Amino acid sequence: MTKEMQFKTIVAQYCKVKPEDMTNETKFREDLGFSSLDFMSFLGELEDTFDVELEEEDVLHIFTIGEALALLETLQE
Amino acid sequence: MREYYPLTAAQKLHYNWMKTYRTQQVSGVSVVASLQAQLDFGLLKKCIELEFERYGCMRIRFTKPDDKGEIRQYLISKETRDIPIKDLSGMSMAAADNLMQQWAYETFDGDDIPLCDVTMVKLPDGYNGFFIHMDHRLIDSCGLVVMINDLMQLYTHYRFGSPYPDALADFEEVLKKDLQRAGHEKRFAKDKKFWEDQLDALGEPLYSDIQGPSVLEEARKKYGDPKLRAADIELHNLFVEVKDYCLEPEPTKNLIDFCMNHQLSMTNLLLLGIRTYLSKVNNGQEDITIENFISRRSTHDEWTSGGSRTIMFPCRTVISPETDFLSAAYEIQNVQNRIYMHSNYDPALIKEEMRRRYNTPENTAYESCYLTYQPMPVKMDNPHLAHIPQHSKWFANGAATKKMYLTVSHTAEGGMNFSYHYQTAHLEEHDMELLYYYMMRILFKGIAEPDMSIGEIMEQV
Repeated sequence: MTKEMQFKTIVAQYCKVKPEDMTNETKFREDLGFSSLDFMSFLGELEDTFDVELEEEDVLHIFTIGEALALLETLQE
Repeated sequence: MREYYPLTAAQKLHYNWMKTYRTQQVSGVSVVASLQAQLDFGLLKKCIELEFERYGCMRIRFTKPDDKGEIRQYLISKETRDIPIKDLSGMSMAAADNLMQQWAYETFDGDDIPLCDVTMVKLPDGYNGFFIHMDHRLIDSCGLVVMINDLMQLYTHYRFGSPYPDALADFEEVLKKDLQRAGHEKRFAKDKKFWEDQLDALGEPLYSDIQGPSVLEEARKKYGDPKLRAADIELHNLFVEVKDYCLEPEPTKNLIDFCMNHQLSMTNLLLLGIRTYLSKVNNGQEDITIENFISRRSTHDEWTSGGSRTIMFPCRTVISPETDFLSAAYEIQNVQNRIYMHSNYDPALIKEEMRRRYNTPENTAYESCYLTYQPMPVKMDNPHLAHIPQHSKWFANGAATKKMYLTVSHTAEGGMNFSYHYQTAHLEEHDMELLYYYMMRILFKGIAEPDMSIGEIMEQV
């Protein structure tokens, strides 16, 4: 499984949208219905799964799947 | 081969209360769900039995405490107890509710015993349904709502041929995942650091009481410590009364619209309302802590596995009176968002750390108010039952571990219900009237003039 698909599979656990239906423009709150609790819990799971550390400042600017994926790429470089 | 598991942090919370207050009553949760319709009680009984199979948390048992007082949990494979039916139809609904309230006070005493009782009930005015009484270590209120809906979907499937309900997540698998996450070393270290950083930055919290500063003053005299920042909790008279206030649909809509327009969650707005009241009655105290319950249900599996997931964490904010209402709301939201990210931590460890740092006396607390915002109503969300009147009601267990515990939920009519559970040892209904009155004044003043400072709002309401 690619990293992107692994990422989207985690996202799919928090909503009713299938990984293959998610695009880079998909918004966590508006399109996937994430609450604050969902979003923060999801970030915690990302940290554990991909072994990265998310900074609060970075997290504030994540609204879409594409932005989260780009941040993940940067942190893993 | 039966597997034994340790308790999760959420279960430990209830177990620790049971030990501190020396009664299982503090861990009771009860609800009645009924419809104004004829029910096939034979079929309902079969569906309840099937629910015991589907919803693993209903079959949890706990072992006898070991020499350190620790218990473990396990699931039995099949529940074989009878599901009785009780006929209360000859009395008024108020009398029936009163009788079920007495059932809610009953305790589950013993080790390795069932901790979930379901009774089918015939109620007055043609209502029929079931009363559920459980131990909170098995389930929280979200879990109960999911279970009631699943049960009625089973009933309508067999009775009317509606689709069979979707599969529920396996409780044992979700429990294993939770325990694994709690034991994740890096995650634990991050969570620990977050909570300890808060104490490093803000120092020892300061108690604030809904009755004003006299409560802390009394504690200071009792312990002979004029700098004490915590106050006693009630350990002996745990009796609780409940006072409900209903906010009408139109003002409720105004609160919801304000939250939507400013990307705020209702929980944070409510926390701001309570903390501003506490500040007002405590001479403008800026450092306020409220215990806030978090559902910890985000994924599909977490939503449908049942269990006791709800856990409370201290929401501590230091807000100056010059801060405007909207900025104060965002400040609370920032704190809460960070807490969500660290909500796998065991809150008992936060208390332990505070006791270690500040030598807090035994059986004292820094908080007098507890909040649960419950966005899910106890309503059978089923198209076959949509037009049938329902009578659903939560029953207090009658023994509060908290001085004042506010549950805010939405009503079927579009309003909001503010349910204040208060310990009668120290509080009266009038205290709740004041709290509700000022909370509403603060919130509606704030949403009407979000640029107004918290200090001005406190003065004007």
